Amino acid sequence: MPLVAKARSFLRNLFFTQRVDEDLDQEVRSHLQLLTEENVRAGMPRKEAERAARMELGGAEQVKEQVREKRLGNGLHAVMVDCRFGLRQLRKNPGFTLTVVLTLALSVGANTAIFSLVNALLLKSLPYPHPERMGTIYTRIVGSSAASDERHNVNGEQWELLRDNVPALISAVSSGGTSGVNLKAGSQVEYVHRGRVSAHYFDVLGIQPVLGRNFSEDEDRPHGPNAVILSYTLWRNVFRADPGILGQSILIRSEPYTVVAMLPQGATTPLNADVYTPLRPSRSGEGGGTNFHAITRLRDGATWQAADAEINRAWLSRPHPYELGEFPGAKLSYYSVSLQKGQTDSLRPQVLALMIAAGFILLIACANLAGLTLVRMLRRTSEVATRLALGASSWQIQRQFWIENLLLALLGGAVSIGVGYLALNELFLLLPEHFLPVGRVPLDGHVMAFTLAVSVLTSVLFGMLPALEVRKVDLRSSMTDRSGVRAGSVRVRQALIAGEVALTVVLLAGSGLLIRSLIHLETLPPGFNPQGVLVVKASLDDVRYHDPAAFRALLDKSTAAMRQIPGVQNAAVGLSLPYERVLNDWITLSDGKETGTQGGTDELYVTPGYFDTLQMPVLAGRVFTDADSPNAQHVAVVNQSFARKFYAGSNPVGRYINNDILIVGEVADVPIASGLHPVAPIQTEQTMYIPAAQMEGPSLALLHVWFQPDWVVRTAGPVGGLTAEMQRALAKADPNLPASGFYSMKDLLARTLTTQRMEVALLGAMAALALLLSAVGIFALVANMVAQKTREIGIRMALGSSLGQVMMQIGSSGVGAPLLGVVLGLALAAGALRVMSSVIYGVGVYDTATILVVVLTLLAVAILATVLPALKIARIDPARTLREE
Amino acid sequence: MPSEPTTLLQGTSDPLILKSLATSEMHGLGIPRRIQQITGGTFVVEPGSLFPALHRMEDQRWTSSFWGDSENHRRAKYCRLTKAGRRQRAVESKRWARISVAIAQALESS
Repeated sequence: MPLVAKARSFLRNLFFTQRVDEDLDQEVRSHLQLLTEENVRAGMPRKEAERAARMELGGAEQVKEQVREKRLGNGLHAVMVDCRFGLRQLRKNPGFTLTVVLTLALSVGANTAIFSLVNALLLKSLPYPHPERMGTIYTRIVGSSAASDERHNVNGEQWELLRDNVPALISAVSSGGTSGVNLKAGSQVEYVHRGRVSAHYFDVLGIQPVLGRNFSEDEDRPHGPNAVILSYTLWRNVFRADPGILGQSILIRSEPYTVVAMLPQGATTPLNADVYTPLRPSRSGEGGGTNFHAITRLRDGATWQAADAEINRAWLSRPHPYELGEFPGAKLSYYSVSLQKGQTDSLRPQVLALMIAAGFILLIACANLAGLTLVRMLRRTSEVATRLALGASSWQIQRQFWIENLLLALLGGAVSIGVGYLALNELFLLLPEHFLPVGRVPLDGHVMAFTLAVSVLTSVLFGMLPALEVRKVDLRSSMTDRSGVRAGSVRVRQALIAGEVALTVVLLAGSGLLIRSLIHLETLPPGFNPQGVLVVKASLDDVRYHDPAAFRALLDKSTAAMRQIPGVQNAAVGLSLPYERVLNDWITLSDGKETGTQGGTDELYVTPGYFDTLQMPVLAGRVFTDADSPNAQHVAVVNQSFARKFYAGSNPVGRYINNDILIVGEVADVPIASGLHPVAPIQTEQTMYIPAAQMEGPSLALLHVWFQPDWVVRTAGPVGGLTAEMQRALAKADPNLPASGFYSMKDLLARTLTTQRMEVALLGAMAALALLLSAVGIFALVANMVAQKTREIGIRMALGSSLGQVMMQIGSSGVGAPLLGVVLGLALAAGALRVMSSVIYGVGVYDTATILVVVLTLLAVAILATVLPALKIARIDPARTLREE
Repeated sequence: MPSEPTTLLQGTSDPLILKSLATSEMHGLGIPRRIQQITGGTFVVEPGSLFPALHRMEDQRWTSSFWGDSENHRRAKYCRLTKAGRRQRAVESKRWARISVAIAQALESS
């Protein structure tokens, strides 16, 4: 039979039920008439004829029912009837429906948002052609003294070997990140992010410029011609997508660069820069250390095994295998890892932890919903018994319940996609730019499928319990017994509540520790006065400022102009500020019994007003003055940690380091983001300050590639239009110096603590959600017990129980289950929270205060959720409840 | 010789209904009467099995139906064979011939 015709009948039977039925009705009626007439013709009296006809037909309704059962689509029709009945049931119980849909929306919505992250970071392919053929290189160190397994950055020598001796791969290297530079085209000055890449970088990524060509090998050689490739966004925003710019020269860092290409719209790279310039890797300078990020693409016909063998042969046969210097006896090997994994490895543990937390939320929601549907099921025991008595099969009743659960799941799932979308948007407001190594986190087909699957899975989980209960329905007892409460079901619900409270304890304790740790970091003694300070940053990665005299003139003129701003008390410049990432260096002590001692220290240049402007206490000696000029004695100011680390806490003033640098003062410690030996996101450690005026040309050029100096002013109170005034002051010193951003000290602290703040926000939100769900669960349990035991309560009160006694008796089951849950949760947390020790600071994993707050919060919530519904008991009138029976 | 009417055997209704419609279209009462006639009164099709069978055949597009006037000017639902129905009649007849030969052989052999 043709499928189309079949489908037509099927749909007609399904959707035009009424017309099909009317048709059938007429058909049977006409058949009856024909029969009657036949009988009349045979000589029967009319009455007799009609009776005989009806007998021959054998029951009009039965005949019709037989036809209906044989119809195409009958099974589906029954399901649709069930659906309609189910929807009616849900509409009739708006409280139940709303609770279930909201619970699902929140819990599945949280999972949707988190899964979108997992999807974008860990599951989705990178946006390049054949992403499975792209890789990066890892080092594995196996040995008795040390073991590590991490992404390997390459140095100049390794890069040359990778490029020349590994024919299985096309390789490219780039700078580790982007740096801010100033771009000048015509009269327009822009602050842009520059990424430095080797030749073939875009070949490895598989990106073809929309105009122009990739970097040539000649441009990638040291002292090669200056060339630049523009991102599409920059080309459109700054050059209005003018193709004429190709081959023209634009000024970057005040140097002319020839535009050789523009990238296509939507093209992203791991660097996500605005402009790309040649990296020019060599064995010296930057290439002396492992400072380059490698990306590779497997050539056609080659295998990863062959590539790994070639890499190991090339790198391990070098005359100086220096990587093993710190780990004697360890074994070293290199291997390729997919670029996808390489790029997201560092975020993987956080994302997985979030996924687990979201899974907890789902389990808690399931426990609540199972409890709710169980109660609803028990309330419908008499309905079920009636249907069974009227001949419904157990399967038909089960089907009805599953269909209702599925309807709820779909409803909740639909709402949860909206909730997930909103949650994801909120999350993005939290994230700084370029925090994630992917451009977008879409709610795509994968996410939708996941949400649907989770909703359905949830409905199966929470529907299982009531469905099992249906099978136990006993016809006789349920038809006669109205209350239908069974002790067993209450125990099941209490167990569910205990379980969800236990999970809530773990989430609350985890987020509690993160909050404590964030508070610790944000309230570290600053060692300076962070109030009333405004900062402007600008890039000095500019050939004009490789000349120390020009650099000094800029600092003098700009700080002088800033001091002229009305309301400004002081102004200064420093390479970095407290809370910021800081440069580190290797120094040698040059006098006394410490002569020859070496060690690492943080290091930054500052103008003389720096310590005054920040109001940093001077503990010994003096700070810098204008007399500390380029040709005067080279001096340094150190902090307290420096004196403790290198001079055992004795006065460092008057000592010499690096041969001829004289320490002239000691200042208090300030928290910084360490590059030296980070044990926390911000901490205090040995720091050495150098006068900006005594900086030399070559080091200025290098420092300003990595760091953007801060101009900082102190005001007595709020000053209107201060940022504009500071911008103007900067322009007075150099009209071609765009500010890259304005910050308060609080902003700088927040920037450094982004990860911690995000962790707190995310886990805190999940814990709050868990708490809310638990409260709803306890509330529902107690409210339901009050409703079910109304009669019992009435009898007790009639027999002389006081209101208080009854409330205690009912309430104890509301508080008892959470209590058990808290105990279970603490045991669970004792094991689970140990994994957090690496992300919390200034607080132990077993923090008494945190645990106490968690326990008290949960108890308060449990008592509140118990007392509110228990208050209804006061309104029970014993006489009325007894009459009702 | 007419014998005691028998209700239809499993699987015989389709070929008989298709056969009864072979020469002309027919209404719902005409079909059982025609079957009674061509089987010499051996088979009686009850309405309880006739109606579902007719609806099934129509769903399968072996027959099509329309409302028309009966011989006594009553409205009645008529059935007629479609092209697919004629093909199906041939298939059913062949199948039935095979079965009856097989059963006859089985019963005759000792």
